[in-house]
Amino acid sequence: MSADKNVMLIPKIESGIVIDHIPAGLGVRLLDIISHYTEMSDTIISLGLNYRSQRLGRKDLIKLQVDYLDPEIIQHISIVAPGVTVKVIKEFAVQNKVVVQPPREIRNLLHCKNPKCISTSEPSVETHFIIVEPATNKVKCVYCERIFDLNELKLKQVL
Amino acid sequence: MKKDLISMDDLTLDEIKIYLNLARKIEAMPLPERLKILPGRIMASLFFEPSTRTRLSFESAMHRLGGSVIGFADQGATSVSKGETLSDTIRTVENYADIIVMRHPGEGTARRAAELTGLPVINAGDGSNQHPTQTLLDLYTIEKDLGRIEGITMAFVGDLKYSRTVHSLIRALMKFNVTEFYLVAPEALRLPGYFMMNDQPGRFQFHETEFIDEAIPKCDILYMTRIQKERFPDLLEYEKVKDSYVLSQTMLSSAKADLRVLHPLPRVNEISTDVDQTRFAGYFPQTRNGVIMRQAILSMHLGGRI
Repeated sequence: MSADKNVMLIPKIESGIVIDHIPAGLGVRLLDIISHYTEMSDTIISLGLNYRSQRLGRKDLIKLQVDYLDPEIIQHISIVAPGVTVKVIKEFAVQNKVVVQPPREIRNLLHCKNPKCISTSEPSVETHFIIVEPATNKVKCVYCERIFDLNELKLKQVL
Repeated sequence: MKKDLISMDDLTLDEIKIYLNLARKIEAMPLPERLKILPGRIMASLFFEPSTRTRLSFESAMHRLGGSVIGFADQGATSVSKGETLSDTIRTVENYADIIVMRHPGEGTARRAAELTGLPVINAGDGSNQHPTQTLLDLYTIEKDLGRIEGITMAFVGDLKYSRTVHSLIRALMKFNVTEFYLVAPEALRLPGYFMMNDQPGRFQFHETEFIDEAIPKCDILYMTRIQKERFPDLLEYEKVKDSYVLSQTMLSSAKADLRVLHPLPRVNEISTDVDQTRFAGYFPQTRNGVIMRQAILSMHLGGRI
């Protein structure tokens, strides 16, 4: 199956945002995250799973009929699936695309695991992590200064 | 812009040296002159958990700079015990003082407080995270005792896993080009690998051992810490090791002539009292240096005239 035929499996959008090159299996998780944001509640979203990809073998794909994607959502996506491509579509053509890199700092998205950390015990404190070793996904809590594996930290429930 | 002292990790080598230089300068000043450094200034001393040494040392430092102190030494007697949030406490106290010195069991509390107030905040210990004024006074003590910090051989003994004092001092010494460390600890209390991490492979040598005798003849500073029974998952393990980390005068017979024994205090039994009278004992002068270093810190963060 050619790449063009792949694209036809879910309809092309006239304008909107496509999140491409999602490693297969993460599409549903990203969709879940995106749909938790209230501003996305009326958005038309298409999800494609297990497309063939030269780069990834298999990939997932999400199409959003929106003009704008909140940077907080992009930050959120970048934590769960760094390396995905976000494409801005206008009149059926790609206007702009960026490969989402893991952020240098992560604000108010992750829970600190340390029960003694002030960001855990005082709910009004927004959590704040700094990536200390991008290669190994090590992050440091700005408050208690503990180092964690990014993957071991739970995402905060998005309101 | 206000300047806080929250974590040793925030300080560069040059910034650490500024504190050391200022402490040296203040120590050289006659006492009546020191009283003119911070007259009329008020330090809020917020101790949300008990501390004797750090709190008294800060209060003494402020009084001897001509300033005054308000605060509490136990949160039981404050609105905090009525359920007041940290944020409300800080926003209230900032109207009463010029600088906040705080200790709190919650890790990251000092950084949070610093975000909430326009006053400089000095971290006097936040749980098992940071205690930067202890590290600065340790560095000052080492420099005074040995005449240098760079290139010394350092030994740490005891609880290297949980001691924030040890963690923080090791990281600071690495900035000073101290490259050789003896880490003496029982298996259960070894230094976590993260603290040895650095981007210059081969530059630093960490000799890990369970035997204090291996470190004594080699080191310039023997930094003792208390081994807490409750840290051991298995009490049999504790019983096995507890006496091997008690330093006595006879154990120091193989030490270098100018070795100094330091300890953040309070000690329980890890240094027997017969060491107190030897030339090696550096832990009581260390507490005196604590007042001087805290005077330097308060002066710097309040812009005192020196």
